[in-house]
Formats: sequence, structure tokens, C-alpha cells
Amino acid sequence: MQPIEERPLRVLLAKLGMDTHTVGVTVIAHALREAGMEVIFTGLKQTPAMVASAAIQEDVDVVGVSTLSAGHTRSLPTLARLLREAGAGDKLLLAGGVIPEEDRPLLEEAGVDRIFTMGADTRDIVAYLNQWRATRREERD
Amino acid sequence: MNDESAHSTANPTRSGVNEDAIAAEAERWQNDTRGPYVNANPERREEFVTQALKWSINPLYTPADLEAVDFDYMKDLGFPGEYPYTRGTIPNGHRSDFWTMTQVTGFGKGEEWSKRARYMLDQGLSGLILEYDLATTNGYDSDDPLVEGEVGRAGMALDSLEDLEQAFDLPFDQLKYLMSVCNAPQPVNLAMIIAALEKKGVDPKDLVLHIVNGILIEYTCVGRYIYPPQDGLRLATDCIEYIIRHHPNWAPISIIAAQLQPAKANPVQEIAFSLSIACAYIDATLQRGLDIDTVAPYFHFVINVDMDFFEGVCKLRAFRKCWARLMRERYGATTPEAMKIRMMTSPTTTALTLQQPLNNIGRLAIMATACALGGAGESMTTPLHDEAHSLPAEEAIRVGAAMQHIVAHETGVAETIDPLAGSYYVETLTKQMETAAFAEMEKIFDMGGALKAIESGYFQRALGREQYERNRDLEEGRRKWVGVNHLKLAEEKRQIDIFRLDDSVEAEQISKVRDLRARRDQEAVDRALEKVREAARSGDNMVPPCLDAVRTYATHGEICSAMRDVFGQHRADSQLGGI
Repeated sequence: MQPIEERPLRVLLAKLGMDTHTVGVTVIAHALREAGMEVIFTGLKQTPAMVASAAIQEDVDVVGVSTLSAGHTRSLPTLARLLREAGAGDKLLLAGGVIPEEDRPLLEEAGVDRIFTMGADTRDIVAYLNQWRATRREERD
Repeated sequence: MNDESAHSTANPTRSGVNEDAIAAEAERWQNDTRGPYVNANPERREEFVTQALKWSINPLYTPADLEAVDFDYMKDLGFPGEYPYTRGTIPNGHRSDFWTMTQVTGFGKGEEWSKRARYMLDQGLSGLILEYDLATTNGYDSDDPLVEGEVGRAGMALDSLEDLEQAFDLPFDQLKYLMSVCNAPQPVNLAMIIAALEKKGVDPKDLVLHIVNGILIEYTCVGRYIYPPQDGLRLATDCIEYIIRHHPNWAPISIIAAQLQPAKANPVQEIAFSLSIACAYIDATLQRGLDIDTVAPYFHFVINVDMDFFEGVCKLRAFRKCWARLMRERYGATTPEAMKIRMMTSPTTTALTLQQPLNNIGRLAIMATACALGGAGESMTTPLHDEAHSLPAEEAIRVGAAMQHIVAHETGVAETIDPLAGSYYVETLTKQMETAAFAEMEKIFDMGGALKAIESGYFQRALGREQYERNRDLEEGRRKWVGVNHLKLAEEKRQIDIFRLDDSVEAEQISKVRDLRARRDQEAVDRALEKVREAARSGDNMVPPCLDAVRTYATHGEICSAMRDVFGQHRADSQLGGI
């Protein structure tokens, strides 16, 4: 694959488990595409293992998980662990949706890089991703 | 100009007003009075539009606007309790009885649901909604590895008849109705409830069981589907037919337009998608040999109201009228019962914010008032102000229940029938919505109906576009939302208690279902599951074999899987998901 600065960011958007609320992930998908990124959607009802394997197969830079039920405290740490174990710990792992404040430390410690809760501005998410990409480029140089 | 002679020469219409004279006066007012004022005080925004439809809003509505939409009192409104039911389906509005006041509940294990349900009944509520966890609604048992972390979280965990036997430890004399939300596995869920009521010795005639049975909306936007759409429709039809034939006082189907609204359907899409979906079920049920005047009264709608007060009020009024017209014009229904819509209304949770959550109490009160003014229908359910944070907490339940009583007893909105009727704006908007919804329905019928619109992804893509556009309105400031993009607090401290389910619930539920499997008559279970597969293949009604299976304590997931063996599973790619 081309270096990160010479191609669009590749983003895998995922819904883990039985949570099927898709408005947030739909809006994000449209916004990221509009910003020139390549967006792949896993479909509904994925396990952490299915998402980790899709992330590796699709060779994405970013994995974004949308969660609106309360299962995130278990599924997200599992996904982070599976990515690390598969040597894909450098992928940016984002979470979004309904995530209570007090769950942040647990998720961040488990390896979630950034949490965007309900009401986050898609322009902030795009800016964050672009900045992350710029940092990655600097690290490479 | 503005003297009595100008009016005396006018030729009054039947309504007693002369629209031409009023239009002329309105023009004069614009030139003499409003124009100069607006020149000196420019308008706050370039364009005023309704929130969801983005229809242009005039500065002023007069009888001339009613004439422009061809408004006719007798044809468009009539009287309450009579065709076309625009002014309500109840002849005396809410002067005889208030709507039934309900709230959503359901979490954890059966016993916990029962405790919470008793608390809610004690707060003055008379109806309950039973919501299940996502393991249950997607057709899995609690110990299935696919549902790890979800057990008992978004609703009650229901693995077997035993769980419902515990949940139904309730004062059934206080409970007027019970709604159950379990769409994809509906025949299994229906069978469980029937068997549990039997065990409790409750006469099925003493309460109204409402099953939502709303699989087509699951494919459209919610996503809790199991089987392919045509099989989903068949299972829903099985439940409708079974209830009509065996429990005629129950409600076998709810069209939850309130799930289309959070998926950002605008009011016209909400009416057209819901009603065309209703038609898909009706067509399938008529093929079972029932007639429209029998079938139509069983249809029930749950309709959300969003923060645009007038879109909300007019949507409820247009909904009633569109249903009435559809039943009469498309199906040739002849009885009033068939033509009057049954509906439950609710303020939408999507208007609530995570930021400054107490503001949500204000939003909910306003939306509940819009529901009441639009004609609340048989019942109203109020979400809770902390839902954006997490699942409902106890104080929020009390405030939510009190809110409905405040609207009912303190505001006066229920003291006369349909008090906003005759408002030039309300009637114009109501009529515009009706016309647009009928045009959209024609388009859907031309595609082959709602099932085809789902199978082709038409509904899903239309909603995906709305979702993106409505979010842009917000981000680019065309719509102001307090706490989100207006009056934001620099730093916010959360002050609201969040309800947390103990993690041990999942472990307990898993050992409970495993323990059950070890002590039941496995041969009876296997035989019953084979009968379920046979019925699935043969096209027989699925409810009786599910009922037999439930009574052997076959689990929810096992029965759903027996049907998976026959139907297969639905998989939606991003095209069919509208993403």
C-alpha cells in the first residue's frame, strides 16, 4: 500500500454486537467520504474478532466503532486487544455513540485512542483524523 | 381603505370570509405596515423553514392560504370521532378520559423488571412497555457467545418461559395494557407471553396485550432482523392472523413510525413509509381470508413528535386523515372502526441532548404538549430526560410520569377538542402534509409496495440521505440546538445519576438458562423444535408450534434457530443499510 500521505485515509466503520442503531455511523460515513476518505462499513452484528479481521484484511488506517447500547465496556477492550495481538495496534481506534463519561478511563486504558460522544461535530472528527495522519507522517519522516 | 365599506362590498364564501378581500388586505398590510418595519428591523434569518421538511414558512397565514390549498372544512376536518378523523378519533376528545399514560421499562432479569414495573404502576401509570435486551430481539439466548456484554442491558433478558413467569409477578388488576417489543422473533415472543399469562391464571380478556410485530421497520432502519424480508413479513402475518382469530381483544401489530423519525424520516416520509408498510401487512393478512373491516381496526401506530411544534401537531392530524382515506379509497373499508387510526404518541428521544441534560425536561414538556394538542390518541408514552446519557434512572421515571399529569391537569390543552383546528397555519400545513404523503405513497405502490421498497434499499437510502443532511443543518448552524451548537457551556459537570445494571446479571442469566436446559425434558424439546421447522417449511401458521415449543421450555434462541435452519438469515450490505 502507498504511504499514508499519498492516498486517502482508509476507515473501517463498525457496529459491534447486537446494537443496531445506525444513524450516527451513517452520518459519519457520509461526512468522511465527503472529506475524501475511503469508508468501509462492516454491516451489523459483528463480533470484535470479525471487526479485527476485517480491519486487517482491508488494511485500514482507522477503525471506528459506533456503540449505542451499554455493551461497550466489554466489546471495545476486546477489539483493542485483538488488534494488538494481530500486530495491528498502530491502527487508530475510535469509539462513538452513547458512552458515559465514567467509562472513558477504562476504554482509554484498554486502547481506545479517542471517544466522540453523541453530538460530536463531524468536522471535528475529520480534523482530528487529518491531524492524526499528519502526525503519522512526521513520525515516518 | 381599511374601513367597513371595503368588507361590505365583499362576497362572503360559505365559511363567512372573503378570501379575495383578505388577500388584498394582506398585500396592503405588507406594503404599509410590515414592509417598512422589516426594512428597519431585518429578519433574524434569510429563510424560515420547518425543522424536518424544510418547507418554507410564511410570515403570516390568513384564510387566503387555506383557499390556496383548497381547504374545505367539511371535507378536510369534519367532526371528532367521524371521517376523516382529522379532529381526532374520539368523539369527546380527552374530556371523558385522558390518554393512557405509559413509560418504557424493561431491563435485567425477570424479577427486576417486575420490581420496576410495580414502581411505575405506583407512580400512576396504567400501561407498561416491555422491552427486551438485544440478545432477545435478535433471536439469541443469553449464553450465546455472539451476545456477550448485552445480556439484560438494553432491556429484559428473555430466554425461556421461566423468565416471563418471574416478570409477571405483577398486580394485573392495575395493568390495563402491556406492550411487548420483540419484532424479528415475534411468534416466539407471543407464544411466551400467552403461556406465561396462562401460568399466572390471567384471563386474556382482562388486559390488552399489544405486540409490536414491526419487522418491516426493522429492515428499513432499526436493524434487529433475523430472517429475509419476505419471511419476516410472513411471521408477522402469522401473529396478526393468530391474534385476530384467538384473542380478538388484543393488538397484534404496531407500526412504529416512532422508529422512522429517529432515523430522520421527515413527517411526509414518516406517514408514507409507515402507511405503505401497514398496507404490506394488510395485503398479506387479507390473503389469509380476513376482510378489511375486520383487519384494519387491529392496526396501531406509535408516532413521535419532534421539537418543531407545528410539524408535530400537523403530522398527527394528517396521519389520521391519511389512514382514513387509505382505508376507504384503497381498500373499500366501510366501517368507522376500520377508518379511524389507533395511535400512541410520544415525545422523541432524538430531541434530547447529552449536554445540559436537565434542559431535556423542558423539551419533553413541550413535545408532550404538542402530542396532546395534535390529539394524543389512546395513549402517550414519555421518554426520560437522562436517556441521552444512559438507560433510565429512577428519579427520571418519576419526573417523566409527573410530566404527563402536568400536561393533562395543569395546562388546559385537553379541555376542548382539537383546540388548534382552524389555525390558518395549522390547517395549511396539515393539508400540505397529507397531499405530499399521498404522492409519496403512490410512488411506493408503483414500485410494488413496501416490501419491494425494502428489498431494493429505497427506504434505507432515502433515510440515509436525510440523516446526513439534517446533521449538516445542525453543524452548519441552520438549526440551533441548545447545549449542542447554541448556549454551549465551556465546561460541564454532570449532575444526573445514571442507572447501571450490575454485571452479575449476565452471569446469573447464563447459569439460569443452562440450568434449565439440564433439567427439562430434552426429547419433548427436540420434538417440538422439529415441529417448528416443519411448520416453517409448510407455510402453516407458526404461532401454535411455537406455543407448543415454549411449553416444553425450549428456549427463545433455540426456537429462533429452528426457524433460521429453514429461512436462513438476512444480511444487509451498506447499500441495503443506506450507509
